[in-house]
Amino acid sequence: MKGEDLLSVLNFSAFRPEPDDPSATWRKRFPGQRTVLLNLGRSATAWRGVQRNGKLAEGDTAAGELKEVLAEHSFQIKELSEHGWCVVSLNTRYVISLEANLSRRVGSEDIIKSNPRSVLGARYERGKRYAVTHNPETNSSILLACDEEHVRKIESTLKEAGLQIGRICCGTYVLLTHALAQTNTTKGSDKPSSRFYVVCCQGSVCALIQDGDRWTELRSRTDVYEGMANPIMDLISPFKQRLPEGADIVLACDNPVPQLADSLGDLFADRKLIDLTQPDLLWTLLTQN
Amino acid sequence: MQIHARIIDDFKTERKDISPPLQAYLRLVPVLLYAAIAGSILLNALFIARYSQAGSARDTAVRQDSELNTELDGVKSRRQALEDETKKASDLSAWVEASRPLQSLVVEIARSMGSDASLVDLSLERDTTNPAQILLSMRLQSENPKQLDETVQTIARNRFRTFSPQQTMEKGVVDYKATLLWQSSAREQTAPAQ
Repeated sequence: MKGEDLLSVLNFSAFRPEPDDPSATWRKRFPGQRTVLLNLGRSATAWRGVQRNGKLAEGDTAAGELKEVLAEHSFQIKELSEHGWCVVSLNTRYVISLEANLSRRVGSEDIIKSNPRSVLGARYERGKRYAVTHNPETNSSILLACDEEHVRKIESTLKEAGLQIGRICCGTYVLLTHALAQTNTTKGSDKPSSRFYVVCCQGSVCALIQDGDRWTELRSRTDVYEGMANPIMDLISPFKQRLPEGADIVLACDNPVPQLADSLGDLFADRKLIDLTQPDLLWTLLTQN
Repeated sequence: MQIHARIIDDFKTERKDISPPLQAYLRLVPVLLYAAIAGSILLNALFIARYSQAGSARDTAVRQDSELNTELDGVKSRRQALEDETKKASDLSAWVEASRPLQSLVVEIARSMGSDASLVDLSLERDTTNPAQILLSMRLQSENPKQLDETVQTIARNRFRTFSPQQTMEKGVVDYKATLLWQSSAREQTAPAQ
């Protein structure tokens, strides 16, 4: 036993998950410790601090690629974190797709991280990192594929900047799974409901059609918008013709996008709009889960 | 359809040696350790406080002991003085009681002196080995040669018999020494019967 191990028992840190343990929530990993959240887009990077009590602290957004932003603001970002621990939300170089007939064996949503080939079979591509959300009622699944090289590049860039990565996730995918979990709460398939999910995060947009219990169509694009709702509406408008009858509109954005909810209300005037968007929604999800 | 919220997926390159957190019940180990440390500190503080109290109590007791010893010594010396005084008194009383039978003898010896004689020195000492015998030592100054005989007769009248008389005479001073033995009246009464 090393002295560090003994010290970790004495200061109770051995009874908490390690800072980079992916199986634990952020709050459990860093109780009473300041950390920082990063939301990376292609043309902008946003950051936000998390206070010791788990509440969000001040943050900022800077235009430019990650390297440029860190060169200018790394001190400001590191100051928000006690030991440099951060969460990274990627919003570029990923693909969210709708797949069918993926392996549904127990724990496949966890196994896909360590052995993606066993879950994806022929769909597996080398150099990708995956996450999956299965539809419990049908054979369809939402698959997130992220470029491994891009992830490693971000890891090395942040390490050079003196930051330690506790988690790298896809903000759009986090918001999409959050919207699905919030709206699909009825056990079984007795009362299937149709919905059209619109998720926006740091310039990326993802749209999913749920017809009853079935997921029928998914479209995901990165770098679609920069604060304005029009590009999002342009991407969503074609879905109007294909929406199932009686489908509700579910909107979830990392931060409110000006005019987006109104534009959606206008476009889908005869449908109910469920707006899950809250200020700092993504930050809140990242700190709570 | 029900979709459960899951822990957010993580794409970072995972470290291989991530260890799970220790079981919650094992928190007892550091808790007990800290409790033991706190307890030992508390007990030590108590022991130190009690030790200092005991030290001051011991000092008080030692001081009281020395005071009482001093007082006891005073009492002992006073008692010894009283005992000495009592002994002196009892000795004096014994001497007075013991000399009471001889007082009349001394008076008779003094009265037996004639007008031309004087008693220079008279000493009566009880023999320590044989208390019934009294050593008589007497110095007379007289020109009358019969004065000593009269005095010896006076002694005999007082029921003392003389043994081993020694007599010296020099320049009119007679030194007379003898051992006196008191003769009881019972023996005197039985003597005629013999």
